[in-house]
Amino acid sequence: MEVTSWTTMKRFVYINDDSCRYSYCGNRISNTKYTFWNFLPKNLWEQFRRFMNQYFLIIACLQLWSHIAPVSPATTWGPLIIIFIVSASKEAWDDYNRYLSDKKANERKVWVVKDGTHRQIKAQEIHVGDIVWLHENDEIPCDLVLIGTSDPQGICYVEMSNLDGETDLKTRFVPSISANLSADQLGKVKGVVECPNPDNDIRRFDANMRLFLPIIDNEACPLTINNTLLQSCYLRHTEWACGVAVYTGNETKSGMSRGTAETKLTAADAMIDKLTIAIFTFQIIVVLLLGYFGNIWKDTQGLKQWYLMYPMEGPWYDFLVIPLRFELLCSIMIPISIKVTLDLAKGVYAKFIDWDEQMFDWETNTPAHSANTAISEDLGQVQYILSDKTGTLTENRMIFKRCCISDTMYGNNNEDDGLKDAKLLHAVSSNDPDVIKFLNDGTVSYKAQSQDEEALVNAASNLNMMLISKDNSSAGIYFNGSDFHYELLDILEFTSDRKRMSVVIKDGQTGKILLLSKGADEAILPRASAGQQIQRYLEAVEMYSQLGLRTLCLGWRDLEEDEYKEWSKKFREASCSLHNRESKIAEVCHSLERDLHILGVTAIEDRLQDGVPETIKLLRNAGINVWMLTGDKQNTAIQIGLLCNLITSEPSSQLLSITGKTEEDILRSLERAFIIMKNTCETKDLAFVLDGCALEIILKHSKESFTRLAMLSRTAICCRMTPLQKAQLVAILKSAGYLTLGIGDGGNDVRMIQEANIGVGISGREGLQAARAADYSIGKFKFLRRLILIHGRYSYNRTAFISQYSFYKSLNICFIQILFAFLSGLSGTSLFNSTSLMAYNVFYTSLPVMTIIFDKDISETTVLQHPQILQHSQAGRLLNPITFCGWIGRSLYHALVIFFITICAYADEKSEMQELSMVALSGCIWIQAFVVTMDTNSFTYPQIILIWGNFVAFYMINLILSAIPSLQMYTIMFHLCGQPSYWITMALTVVVGMGPVMAFRYLRDMYRPSAINMLQQIEQSNGSIQAFGGMDSALESVRTNLTDLVTDSRRNSDSNYQPLLSD
Amino acid sequence: MSSSGSEGDSLASRRSKKPKYSKFTQQELPACKPLLTPGIVIGAFSLIGVVFVPIGLASLSASQNIVELIDRYDAECVSANDKVGFIQDTKTDKACTRKITVPKPMKGPIHIYYQLENFYQNHRRYVKSRNDKQLRYKDSGAMITNCEPEATSEDGAPIVPCGLIAWSMFNDTFSFSLNKKAVEVNKKNIAWDSDKQTKFGSDVYPKNFQKGGLIGGAKLDEKLPLSEQEDLIVWMRTAALPTFRKLYGRIETDIMASDEVTVVIQNNYNTYSFGGTKALVLSTTSWIGGRNNFIGAAYVAIGGICLFLAMGFVVLYVLKPRTLGDPSYLSWNKESPDQPN
Repeated sequence: MEVTSWTTMKRFVYINDDSCRYSYCGNRISNTKYTFWNFLPKNLWEQFRRFMNQYFLIIACLQLWSHIAPVSPATTWGPLIIIFIVSASKEAWDDYNRYLSDKKANERKVWVVKDGTHRQIKAQEIHVGDIVWLHENDEIPCDLVLIGTSDPQGICYVEMSNLDGETDLKTRFVPSISANLSADQLGKVKGVVECPNPDNDIRRFDANMRLFLPIIDNEACPLTINNTLLQSCYLRHTEWACGVAVYTGNETKSGMSRGTAETKLTAADAMIDKLTIAIFTFQIIVVLLLGYFGNIWKDTQGLKQWYLMYPMEGPWYDFLVIPLRFELLCSIMIPISIKVTLDLAKGVYAKFIDWDEQMFDWETNTPAHSANTAISEDLGQVQYILSDKTGTLTENRMIFKRCCISDTMYGNNNEDDGLKDAKLLHAVSSNDPDVIKFLNDGTVSYKAQSQDEEALVNAASNLNMMLISKDNSSAGIYFNGSDFHYELLDILEFTSDRKRMSVVIKDGQTGKILLLSKGADEAILPRASAGQQIQRYLEAVEMYSQLGLRTLCLGWRDLEEDEYKEWSKKFREASCSLHNRESKIAEVCHSLERDLHILGVTAIEDRLQDGVPETIKLLRNAGINVWMLTGDKQNTAIQIGLLCNLITSEPSSQLLSITGKTEEDILRSLERAFIIMKNTCETKDLAFVLDGCALEIILKHSKESFTRLAMLSRTAICCRMTPLQKAQLVAILKSAGYLTLGIGDGGNDVRMIQEANIGVGISGREGLQAARAADYSIGKFKFLRRLILIHGRYSYNRTAFISQYSFYKSLNICFIQILFAFLSGLSGTSLFNSTSLMAYNVFYTSLPVMTIIFDKDISETTVLQHPQILQHSQAGRLLNPITFCGWIGRSLYHALVIFFITICAYADEKSEMQELSMVALSGCIWIQAFVVTMDTNSFTYPQIILIWGNFVAFYMINLILSAIPSLQMYTIMFHLCGQPSYWITMALTVVVGMGPVMAFRYLRDMYRPSAINMLQQIEQSNGSIQAFGGMDSALESVRTNLTDLVTDSRRNSDSNYQPLLSD
Repeated sequence: MSSSGSEGDSLASRRSKKPKYSKFTQQELPACKPLLTPGIVIGAFSLIGVVFVPIGLASLSASQNIVELIDRYDAECVSANDKVGFIQDTKTDKACTRKITVPKPMKGPIHIYYQLENFYQNHRRYVKSRNDKQLRYKDSGAMITNCEPEATSEDGAPIVPCGLIAWSMFNDTFSFSLNKKAVEVNKKNIAWDSDKQTKFGSDVYPKNFQKGGLIGGAKLDEKLPLSEQEDLIVWMRTAALPTFRKLYGRIETDIMASDEVTVVIQNNYNTYSFGGTKALVLSTTSWIGGRNNFIGAAYVAIGGICLFLAMGFVVLYVLKPRTLGDPSYLSWNKESPDQPN
């Protein structure tokens, strides 16, 4: 039924034939957004899709109409062009870097076979139909149909973690039609592949292939995704493989699924956008009011003022002129430079992270890196951390610790290394057959697909059993002075469904055929032969996982020659089947893996990373909820959770397990957990535990109530999670309005990292995929505390100041203009001249505010000592509508002070336009130097230089401008600087403007201090403790103040759910 | 294995990616962190008080010592009921005599200002209606951009100086006599030197000025270059506020107390149609400029408030002492006292 839909949309690929090579695109990969030619128009288009830029563009265009422009159009065009150039250069630089990395990929050398000869060409020169020859560990350059491998069974292994995030290797099969071709024949093969047009589905490839003569079998052979090698995967454990290129360049499955990463908007940015909209609305209201009254003034007063020569009948648009003038006058209310200023500041935050010496990991030689420079503030507002376990909390360095062989527990002492256990050594030296087999089993099945196996082999070699040779078909083992050879007959692959793997081997000496199996306890133990007591092993597994160790069960069985032969046939059939191959293989394997003789259990430790428990404790104290999402089993996860302070043991905390056999059970246990959580979360540290199956059912049936539970829960341990489920959990928390941080190290965390508001990758042992996909990459989990508490917090504080100050200074000058409108007949005259207005935005006010990027309210040590202070920034205490109103209020007050002092001091014969405007402007500059000073917490020399240097620069610039005769302000500054009354006026402005601010600050800091104030005071007094009585009432409010912060936001989001809870 | 490992290590240390240490990159620049402690705040307010009150008193006394006589004449100088009709009639004699008695001795030079109220020199239509190039350069006589609606005469010839400002120039004149004896008014150097030298050309002469049907204000002497038309230059320094004074001239002689100054005013300028007022101001000057009590009063008031605040803070500090920096005040330390700090 589906056939009809795709047969019409397909391509024919002629193998080894030039006829079709140019009908499809080449293999040049291009991730760049622009080309040299379309950069300017495309970038302009992109930039002016932003509302703010459109707005400023309209304003700039209106400015060109001199009839309404209050000042020269340059005041808007200048900054607009500067801003455009800055953003465009940033885009161009990023795109250039993308171009360079593409170029590197495109010019990589690959081998192709052309009519039997091997040639090396650049990857970008591959065309559809070429035969590409790959060697072990090569990255696959384009989508290929596999036609041959070095493996006689026609299989090869690929690592697809770049595509699907799963780190285990995938097996790919040569299609039957080309299975028996020799390497020579492969080079000359001709044929046609009929395949659908390119799509992004990496699980589906419905095609068929026909080979031409001289190959006899001329029938179409169906192909599936299992016959393909996809671009950006790696060939592993296979000497060589070759395939026909079917999709190339950007048309490959990976190229088609490569979406442009969504740009992340920080919570602070979202807040700034909201505030901008509020200011915009305010501006429109002001403009309409002023415009309305301006028109009334004109009609009642203006017509009488004969010297204005108002025409009795104006043009039809006359009523619009005054409102539009006010619109232009008030357009400075929204600071045009805010985005550039913030981008610049964010760039500096990111650099500080890159530069941070204390986040440099000696062991792996990796510095911290922020790939995304735009979201540092979010780090300071994180509410949930969702962490991977293996490799993130732990080192992902497996060490063989203990084992249990035939009812004997080895390594039970509290030693570091299970291998030093005397009993085990004795058992080995005395050739205890079970022990030997045990070691054999672990050793032979070694293929290093996972680190657990590597640990086993290392352990065995320490016990004198060395794996000396291993290839595809045999393994040699050196033990106690003699060699043993085993012939590897079949490998029953590991899959995450079966949770076990087996090998069939033939003992080189005795010719006996053995089945050796290993896998998870629940996959091996039920398959034990009927007679064997497995109780002991169950206990061992239980005990080991209680200790936080990873367990693996081993078993074996003798195979009769006949049984093996019969099975082998079935296995081969299943391996070649075209439909449901995987399940068929699983079924066949299943039939062999029975009646196992259980050998024992191994326990491997994955040690916690250095500093993890302290970091988690610190982060939890900082009010961040930490969840652990792992693919590991429940017991191990809980143990690790205990070890790393994620959960504490019974009396102070309680672990709520959400499990059940049936759907109803699970849902009921979810409800129960929720009720307990709701009633006791204030008094006890509660955590819930659930596994992947339960989560799947819950998400299907009861997502709502799970969301409610998630919001209450400070801690959770989720085990047996698939990469997708990890991402789903992030999405649930995000949808509940929380700021999430995902941290992980492996390919299976990539989805979670990309989904979370902030993705942090640990550049760990599982490769760099996570680090590459992440916004930040660090070497160790413990650096997270510096990243969040130091960099995140400072960034948030600084952005809060910069953004609000930008509005403050713009509003300040705008309010003065509005006040002046009332004294100029509501006609829309600008008090300030064009030069001053432009310089005000570009120079006078933008430089001092940048000093705040060096500011630290409290020292790093204090923050780490009192992590609770993070709750301040977490709850958005420094940037919210209330603080913003404070800034607006201050701006209005300062505008009133500056304006009225100016017009009173410069009244009568002094009220000359240019002088008065310069006095008002100087007043703004003076006040703002003091505002920045007042809001700076720590002064370093760049700050002092910038703040007061800017102040001096203001006078220098204006003295220079006053020397240019063609300017309106010619000689003005000379006049003013010579007048004592000018300086007296300035001092008065500053004192009236700043005095109340200082008095208010003082009273607040002294008598209603915020936690930050208190910490500052502690720092200053060096922590000397002296208790005073009689302050309790004042303190009471402070006490509740902070603790409410987080619960507040919780309560707010809870309120949506209240009605649901009542029933 | 081990050898390659150590080799790798040494390689790593040689090629370490460790960020370079500097106080700047580690954000460890030495910083000073002033806090608003009682000492600093009380000290600052006291200091402001102590500095401000004397300055305020000095300014106040300087301002009080200035003798300023204001005589509003717009209403008295028009006897007719139809004031607008009177002022617009070119034929009537508009001379008007005012007598001002000087209460205190005035030391020369005495500045003569005219003061207009409710006159919007800062109006958007008005303030832009001029062309600076035209005023400055001889060759730019035809530059009349921005000058609408007073750009060209009726026959289309460009007006120099063009624009509403020049057109509406103030044209009342004053002649003074002290105790019946005529006093000369010095009208030289009433404009800024910079304006005379660079803003108004010495080779630019008025052309087509006030030749239209509607006469705005004063006419200019076409023989004199603009740079010498000081009344025009003064007028064209537009005022920022609707009430303003402009310098008319100076009387260089001293005036004794109880002397009578007689002023003969040619009351030509029309402020009647828009309800504006006109006044004549005679004033001495001092270092602070003209008479303006605002700064002095504000300084004294602010200084006083600051002293008062400083005292208030002292009292508050004594009544409600508070240790700064007691960690036990921190909310989380109060919540869980067992938690190590």
